[in-house]
Amino acid sequence: MEQLGIPEQDFINTVARALGRSEPLKHAPQRDIVGPPDFWQEDEEIRKHSLELFKKNLEGLSGRVVIAQSAAEVQQQVKTWLTELEAKNVICWDHGDLKELLQPETLGVNVQLWNDGHSSKELIDVAARADVGITWINFGIAYTGSMAVLSGARTGRSVSLLPPTHIGICKRSQIVPTMTSVIKHLVDLRGQGHLPATINFITGPSRTSDIEMDLSIGVHGPYRTWVIVLDEQ
Amino acid sequence: MNKIHQGKTFRERAREALKDDFMRQAVRKAVDTLETRKEEATDALGNWDQWREQGKRIREHAVENLDYYLSQLAANVRNNGGTVYFAPEAKDARQIILEIIKKHGGKHIVKSKSMVTEEIHLNKALIKEGLDVVETDLAEYILQLADEPPSHIVVPSIHKSRDQIAELFSNVAREKIPNDTPSLTAFSRKVLREKFLQADIGITGCNFAIADTGAISLVTNEGNARLTNSLPKVHIAVMGMERLVPSFADLEVLLTLLPRSATGQKLTSYISITNGPKKPEDLDGPDYFYLVILDNGRSRILADTEFRQSLHCIRCGACFNVCPVYRQVGGHSYGSVYGGPIGSVISAFLTNDMERYGGLAYASTLCAACSTVCAVKIPLHDLLLKLRHRYVTHKYTPAAERTVFKLWRTTFQNPKTYRLAIKMAQKAQSPLVNNGYIIKGPPPLSAWTNSRYFPKAAEKTFREQWQQQHH
Ligand code: SF4
Repeated sequence: MEQLGIPEQDFINTVARALGRSEPLKHAPQRDIVGPPDFWQEDEEIRKHSLELFKKNLEGLSGRVVIAQSAAEVQQQVKTWLTELEAKNVICWDHGDLKELLQPETLGVNVQLWNDGHSSKELIDVAARADVGITWINFGIAYTGSMAVLSGARTGRSVSLLPPTHIGICKRSQIVPTMTSVIKHLVDLRGQGHLPATINFITGPSRTSDIEMDLSIGVHGPYRTWVIVLDEQ
Repeated sequence: MNKIHQGKTFRERAREALKDDFMRQAVRKAVDTLETRKEEATDALGNWDQWREQGKRIREHAVENLDYYLSQLAANVRNNGGTVYFAPEAKDARQIILEIIKKHGGKHIVKSKSMVTEEIHLNKALIKEGLDVVETDLAEYILQLADEPPSHIVVPSIHKSRDQIAELFSNVAREKIPNDTPSLTAFSRKVLREKFLQADIGITGCNFAIADTGAISLVTNEGNARLTNSLPKVHIAVMGMERLVPSFADLEVLLTLLPRSATGQKLTSYISITNGPKKPEDLDGPDYFYLVILDNGRSRILADTEFRQSLHCIRCGACFNVCPVYRQVGGHSYGSVYGGPIGSVISAFLTNDMERYGGLAYASTLCAACSTVCAVKIPLHDLLLKLRHRYVTHKYTPAAERTVFKLWRTTFQNPKTYRLAIKMAQKAQSPLVNNGYIIKGPPPLSAWTNSRYFPKAAEKTFREQWQQQHH
């Protein structure tokens, strides 16, 4: 496309002039303040009670959290939920740890794995019609009851987004105290050039208060965000 | 300009708004709820003031070094495979967006709530080109059907009743949609999901861009921004040039401040950090990512060292919720895309129209509630006072008011004329007085007495009383 808008340099020059500089700043400015305040250390108390806090916070947002002691319990819990939901079609990340824990082919419903065995369009269609989407949770955040999910070739964004129910599964070790840990991980990934195209923080179901401030669940995203955490003793 | 904004002055629009009882009650209820939740959430976090201070410093640093961070951001977006455009004015941004859509043969556009696209009146331009554009935030969808602008930056459709919404939806459905919340929500989910699956272009705003990464973050409760950047093949993000933070760690601070201040949530339901187009091997997500960076008057604010700090705003809406004026008159009375205290401060600069918008400086009681709650500690009431000063020096106050003040000055500078004036007031007021108050003054006094009582002048002046008692 031919020049649209104005060249970057002209724009930046205008900004520099507005800041009273004769030319734009070329080197990173000095900073004494970066990120959260100093007292925001990852609190030992939060760390110790991470799992309980995560459960309490997500349940406070109408989510469900079940703590399973074994892979068999994880599978059983998913089956129980699928029965409760009368689910027939499931879309699921094609993710190593998740598959190992879940054994998706044994769930007794149609399970479509998200991978390049199908076109993008087919997968989105399946996800849009699925009753349940199952993903791994890259991080659970105790302090806010959030899940962080990282997109990738086998970990599509649509799986946690299009179906009316999202089930997230993880191990206890992935529950971190606050967002700070996740951000550190993302900075590391960026350093290695492996930052995914999108990172989603999901905190409870889709919600809106746009109609007379009346809370309503599931306007665009899932109505239900249910989680199973494997806590092997 | 939308039909709602056509009244001439703030005063006239506010007078109309004061007659709308449903709106006023709804606005009060909404802002009370938001404000109560905010207080609970900020108390629960503890050290709220230190978080605000940190937020303020981060915003200040970003704005003071905007030239550096904008270059860094642009370079990183390109590294991630995205394209960056720079738009000095609204019309440039509209043209850029239209050209991108044309290049990709786009026809169906889904939009996620964004004040900046309201600011550049994007929808109208797209519709004029025959494009199918739909707002996907529930409130914005309602407003699009009603052809009205937002009246609050966080809950834009609080002025609409459920009956009005049910009527709008029934028109679309061509059948009766019940007015209960679940039915209305379910209807919009169904209609908008179809739109998402069909769309070839997704347009979003940008809550904060991260300069050292080239990513943008999108914050919603409904998930419509996620759908917008997951399904269409092209994602266009529009950002006001000041809306960036230097690094990921800074983002955490603003993400702590924003939802708590806005709605009292610990975190918004969805936060997407989007880092350019999808990776080649990904099976969903946009193939193309464009970032349009908009000035549109912001460099004017930046150049003004007194008002520069208004660019620190993170659009949380907390200042709206506590403002006694906003609570009475609602968002449309401001006649600007940005209402509330922050809108009153920035509108005249953004539009470069002191005559039309400078008067918004008076849409304030100067009670300072806004400054006290501001998530990033912008001294809003102080800026409103400074804006009044500018407005007066630009001679935009009504001629009558200026004449009165001039008379006041000449009269009061001289003790003789002052005493004479008081005597005259005592005589002239008698036909207007009722129970010790002037209730129906002639202009310009009527501007006051139409809505308030004006105390009558005392029978005896202070000097006369003093002399009687002390001699
Ligand atoms: S001025 Fe402050 S309180 Fe008002 S919207 Fe902006 S950040 Fe929030």
